[in-house]
Amino acid sequence: MSARRSVVTLFATGILLSMGGLRPAGALLAAEPPRPAQGPRPLETSCVTCHAQLDGELLEPTRHTGDDIHFLKGLSCHDCHGGNPAAGGDGDPTAAHDPAKGWMKPTRAQIPGFCAKCHADAAFMKRFDPRARVDQLSEYRTSVHGKKNAAGDERAAVCVDCHGVHGIRAISDPRSKVYPTNVADTCAHCHADASLMGRYFIPTDQFAEYKRSVHHHALDEEGDTSAPTCNDCHGSHGAVPPGVENVASVCGSCHGREATLFRETEAKKKLDLSACIQCTVCHGNHAVLEPTDAMLGVGPQSTCTGCHSEGEPGYKAAAQMAEDVRRLTGKLAEANGLLDRADRAGVEVNPDRFALQKARDQLVEAKVLAHSFDLERFNVAANEGIASADAGIAAGRRAFAELRYRRFGLSLALVLIAAVIVALAFKVRQIERPAAE
Amino acid sequence: MNGAPPGQSRRGFLSWFLGTSIGAMCASILYPVARYISPPDVPEAQTSRVVAGRAGDLKANEGRIFRFGNQPGLLIRTEDGGYRALSATCTHLNCTVQYRSDLKQIWCACHNGMYDLSGKNVSGPPPRPLEQYTVNVADGDIVVSKA
Amino acid sequence: MSAPPGAAGAGGAAGAAARLLAWLEERLGISVLLELGREKRVPRHRHTLWYYLGGMTLFLFGLQVGTGILLLLYYRPSAGEAFESVQFLMTKVPFGWLVRSLHSWSANLLIFVLVLHMFSVFFLRAYRRPRELTWLTGIFLLFLMMAFGFSGYLLPWNTLAFFATQVGTEVAGALPVVGHFALRMLRGGEQVTGGTLTRFYGFHVAVLPALTTVLLLVHLVLVQKHGMSVPPGVEERQRRGAEPPRTMPFVPNFLLRDLIGWCAALGVLAALAAFLPWELGSKADPFAPAPAGIRPEWYFCWMFQTLKILPGHILGVEGEILGILGIGVAGLLWLLVPFLDRAVAPARRRHPAFAIVVWAAIAYMLVMTLWVYLPAGG
Repeated sequence: MSARRSVVTLFATGILLSMGGLRPAGALLAAEPPRPAQGPRPLETSCVTCHAQLDGELLEPTRHTGDDIHFLKGLSCHDCHGGNPAAGGDGDPTAAHDPAKGWMKPTRAQIPGFCAKCHADAAFMKRFDPRARVDQLSEYRTSVHGKKNAAGDERAAVCVDCHGVHGIRAISDPRSKVYPTNVADTCAHCHADASLMGRYFIPTDQFAEYKRSVHHHALDEEGDTSAPTCNDCHGSHGAVPPGVENVASVCGSCHGREATLFRETEAKKKLDLSACIQCTVCHGNHAVLEPTDAMLGVGPQSTCTGCHSEGEPGYKAAAQMAEDVRRLTGKLAEANGLLDRADRAGVEVNPDRFALQKARDQLVEAKVLAHSFDLERFNVAANEGIASADAGIAAGRRAFAELRYRRFGLSLALVLIAAVIVALAFKVRQIERPAAE
Repeated sequence: MNGAPPGQSRRGFLSWFLGTSIGAMCASILYPVARYISPPDVPEAQTSRVVAGRAGDLKANEGRIFRFGNQPGLLIRTEDGGYRALSATCTHLNCTVQYRSDLKQIWCACHNGMYDLSGKNVSGPPPRPLEQYTVNVADGDIVVSKA
Repeated sequence: MSAPPGAAGAGGAAGAAARLLAWLEERLGISVLLELGREKRVPRHRHTLWYYLGGMTLFLFGLQVGTGILLLLYYRPSAGEAFESVQFLMTKVPFGWLVRSLHSWSANLLIFVLVLHMFSVFFLRAYRRPRELTWLTGIFLLFLMMAFGFSGYLLPWNTLAFFATQVGTEVAGALPVVGHFALRMLRGGEQVTGGTLTRFYGFHVAVLPALTTVLLLVHLVLVQKHGMSVPPGVEERQRRGAEPPRTMPFVPNFLLRDLIGWCAALGVLAALAAFLPWELGSKADPFAPAPAGIRPEWYFCWMFQTLKILPGHILGVEGEILGILGIGVAGLLWLLVPFLDRAVAPARRRHPAFAIVVWAAIAYMLVMTLWVYLPAGG
């Protein structure tokens, strides 16, 4: 080849490559996948052309060329399975399924390594997404799934069980099996199946329990994707139940304040609470429900009496806290009731309602401080709240005093009106009496 | 008036009594009407705008709670001297948020929720941003109004 | 008679007054009116007490106009501000709570007294010739007052009013032929919205007052022209000589007595404002479901309840339409009472059927009204 021809070829290739690069970043939704650096376009490989004419299981992969993220990024069958994408157009698969060109259909044991061929290669993944993580395989190997898979258990979950096989969507796509709102269903596919989990002696009630929880409610009904699902606590690839000593850290990754209080008390009182008390002891692990005031204290639904018995300092502290919360809640309700009634009767109460907000804040603060299990700290908030609520009640009573004052004023007016009526009556009588008087 | 017959003085008294009581009654009607008509302290309901303070009240990088109707609002003076105002009711469980001058963000003490200066919920449990208000400074008054 | 003290000063004041009157007389010719006032006399008999009801109604209407004008100074007729402006008025404006309570209570008292006035006129047959037009204008005034009540009720834009208006205009929509048009005209659209509020406000402060002014003037002029009607029974006895015809001067006797009644009404209203202040409730939310027990104001309740108890279909026609038509026909007959009276009983005695039917109607309306107020399930 002459030097000029090489330059032209290089130039042309450069132009073609840069035209590919000019494609807008939202290529996920573009009709056409980017042009591969070499070889036929993803949809024009012999793999797709041939398999599109087959049926059943062999046709299935070609149905996903429009939504699979690999296809959309410009990759095709041979980029994973190997083989020759240019051969086999005549219908004979031997040339296409060429082992010399790396063609393979992985077994379940081989799948993690198969996907990791690209997904653990930082240099390769950077071409498609500079922020892509490449540690999924190493995480997976630490998980129960990964360990069982390495030991040869065909039933343990591998990449394709959660992500899908050929129609793998981006994880930011709400239709993806691993989008936050779908994760629980994906995990439950196996973990809620007693016939599958029986041999491992793993319970299968987690999904049912989770569906009762506030986390599920926030995620499913309010669409709040910051609410946790299975992978937020258990990990995505390194899926393992949090160890007993780690629960507070896991919950604390969102509920930071409670976890901090917990640790502060451990330090202050020189206790090691990790073994005996973690969040799940009082709040549950999967069926985390809305906390109620009855959980605090020594009543029938209390979570404190599970460990603390009567006479212990802990028991007394719990009873005290519950009593204070009950008092503050009651006073808040009373103050609000008074202010509402005064408002409806036409007395100005907005500044008082505003001041009462402080009491409400302190009530929430007190309940949060209950997680410090430290009566002193709790009392600071509780007492401030009670003082604010008392001020609110006083304001309500003042508003009613204003009402009484109005009634007094109007009573005076009534007296005046009565005087006028009496005077008029006498005047009429006077006019109508004979003039001789 | 020693020689006046009793009927006369009674008549006079009655006329006086009638006149005075009617006058008093009219006064007790006119006084409230007059008070009613003269403009009250605030000329209109403060649902859409309120004076949150005076121009010199806040230093740079400082925040303060003010009252907007019966809800709390947060007035912040940023480092460059400008003002921002937002609703101070946390969108998680309605606690009152506060300005953290060390973090230059808005913090909710109840569950550690964080918002940036435009009210967007950036970390922690709050599910929605804080409502933003418009701030204007007029005649040295900081006037906050709902957008 | 010894001169009262300060006679010289009094003489001076009387002289000034006479000069003022003369000045006005030359320009306005008011001596005619003054003469009318001096000469007007009111019959005195055992039914004279009922004469005061008309003036009482007028006084209460005047009170409504006065308090209404005061409310106008602070009220805002838009969905976003109406409730807040009434709240502002009640809490921040000095005596605003008083003006508002007076206006709301006086509206109810006005309709109550108006109804008493109407029935007293009926039973005393004061609508006989030549007073038929007085009766007609009076009945139209009743309709106008009820329209005032209906339109005014919505103006605070609270939950009860919003849904009561929705129910009420829905009934208008059930009229045959013109129903949908009427509903849209009333609501300013298909639904009750802020547009309805502004429209009702326009009715309440401009359209209805204008119509009322005209009709009221005609009504009052007619009353002056024909004088007070004497009930037939009394007329009969006077003709027989069993009772001498007695009268009292309008000024000052009747007026002073009127004034007593008016002061008493004022006292009642003040007591109501003090001990049963009119509540504001909560702001209307068009998207919230209607609370249980929605009903219109008491003077509409008997119609409301009638429509509720009618079965869905009667003889193939929708029950509600029959109910509305029935009420409409009853209203028309009531309007034409003076002509019906003459047609049915041209002699001086009225057919007893009249009284029986009307007493039955009153009993029916009372029962229906009370029924609405029974607890749910009653």
